Amino acid sequence: MADSTRQVQVKFFAVLREQAGVSTLDCATAARTPAELYRELQAGRGLQFPADLLRVAINERYATMETPLSTGDRVVFIPPVAGG
Amino acid sequence: MFELTDQPIDSAALRARLERPEAGACVVFEGWVRNHHGGRPVTQLDYEAFDELARIEGDAITAEAEEAHPGCTVLCVHRTGSLAIGELAVWIGVASPHRHGAFLACRQVIEEIKRRLPVWKKEHHPGNIAEWVNCTTESTAGRLSPGNYYERQASLPEVGASGQAALAAASVLVVGIGGLGCPAALYLATSGVGRLTLVDAGRVEVSNLHRQILFTADDVGAAKVSVAAARLRMHNPLVQVEARDADVTPGNVLALVAGRTAVLDCTDNFATRFLLHDACRQAGVPLVQAAVYRFEGELNLFEPGAQGCLHCLWSGRKPAQLETAPNCSGGPVFAPAVGVLGIMQAAEALKLILRLTDPIDFKQTRLINLLDASSYGIERPADPACPVCGLAQQTETPGDAAPPPRSESSDDFPLILQPQDIAALGPVQMIALLEAGEALDAATAPAGAIAVPMVDLIRIRELAGKGPAILACRRGLRSAALARLLRIEGVGRVYALAGGLGAIRIGVISA
Repeated sequence: MADSTRQVQVKFFAVLREQAGVSTLDCATAARTPAELYRELQAGRGLQFPADLLRVAINERYATMETPLSTGDRVVFIPPVAGG
Repeated sequence: MFELTDQPIDSAALRARLERPEAGACVVFEGWVRNHHGGRPVTQLDYEAFDELARIEGDAITAEAEEAHPGCTVLCVHRTGSLAIGELAVWIGVASPHRHGAFLACRQVIEEIKRRLPVWKKEHHPGNIAEWVNCTTESTAGRLSPGNYYERQASLPEVGASGQAALAAASVLVVGIGGLGCPAALYLATSGVGRLTLVDAGRVEVSNLHRQILFTADDVGAAKVSVAAARLRMHNPLVQVEARDADVTPGNVLALVAGRTAVLDCTDNFATRFLLHDACRQAGVPLVQAAVYRFEGELNLFEPGAQGCLHCLWSGRKPAQLETAPNCSGGPVFAPAVGVLGIMQAAEALKLILRLTDPIDFKQTRLINLLDASSYGIERPADPACPVCGLAQQTETPGDAAPPPRSESSDDFPLILQPQDIAALGPVQMIALLEAGEALDAATAPAGAIAVPMVDLIRIRELAGKGPAILACRRGLRSAALARLLRIEGVGRVYALAGGLGAIRIGVISA
């Protein structure tokens, strides 16, 4: 069903990029939230990083793991940062 | 202003960009790549950034520091790419008219960068070993872990691992980061409340320092929530602290309150008190409210959906009417009084989360007096006709409820009346406040005095509302608390007898 899946772009950084093996992934997903999307990716791409340590950005803004996803969203899962 | 670069950082050139005639100080922080970390040798660092978000967050971080520390100009540059030992990874410069603001703003920027800038670093160790910093369990925990931080608290049978987990899952809003909010937020943070949001639009003033214990003399002029959040994160890096440099308004109150485990009202004005109270009822969130007057304070715990609400307590009076009453705002205040009441608010919030609240505490106002170290519970009135919580709930907006007839305004006599001033008041009703089991001594009681049990607030209100009245208790302390309550309620000419009934009995005045 067209309205049950959405087309999103996922970008990976740092440890997640290494685990995913790619920097960018365009995917059609039934996930309604980043939390659901991450569970799909854990199963599909072998991501091992624990979800409870992640933050997420949607369209270059910090969001929550429960923010509803829409087609065209750019989703970035953000592992604990280490700037400075 | 924030920049990302994959080129070596030229600190002299950056410093030159900050020069301005009004600046009397420049504080520069440089983050360097060092050859060791956690006891292991390091050979190289690779920095990777989520470029678009890093620029947005970086600009936000520097703008927040400039906003929090007026007069400061902030410039920050962060490197990406592979860096050798000794290279500059981050450069922060703050130019300011005065050194205090520059030091504070600089510290704020580096702490925020480490907390939220989407930049990662990969550490290379000898032997082709590399790992992402903060992304392994070991380095995330560091020296602190919930296990050791909360050890002495989680071992309480009333807390335990499940209680500690409930605290970690809790979200508490603290409104007003002043004399009450500082100690309240501090204890909530160190006790492990997982998410704390601090709301206050104020700046630190010199006259705050004697009681607002999260602030130091160097913080004067800075945004309260920024300083407080930074201090709380230093105290307990295991909890999330969010700073909102804003006032609570009818437009934002529901969004702030919704979804919280508890709300602490640490403000000093009635408008905000009613706003928070009504929003908490609407959102179904328990509210812990405190107010302080000089050496005394009162504590109220409001349960959403229960009868006996703030509107019952003030009998439908509007906040604007109450605002003219004596309260803590701008007035003299004994620092330990706000300290004790703020910590009691934290205790009540923690007990709510841990399900340790005594149900009676939802139904009473607790009066605390630091002068005689007394604590006294008065049952809160529950008005069956209250438009907000009454049995026959009406659709009328509570703030618009008609106030009862006004009493005449208070005269020049102070709240605490000296015995020798009684005669000057003219005809006056003496009300002797009796504790449970206490009787008025007919031989020594002042003529015409009416004895009323101290817990009978309704009768006391009624008598005091009729005209000039003097409240007298055994020693004059609780009568002062009640007289103040009545004045806040709008009863104009009500006084508390200095020294209490004891002063009469020993013949200080002739009755």
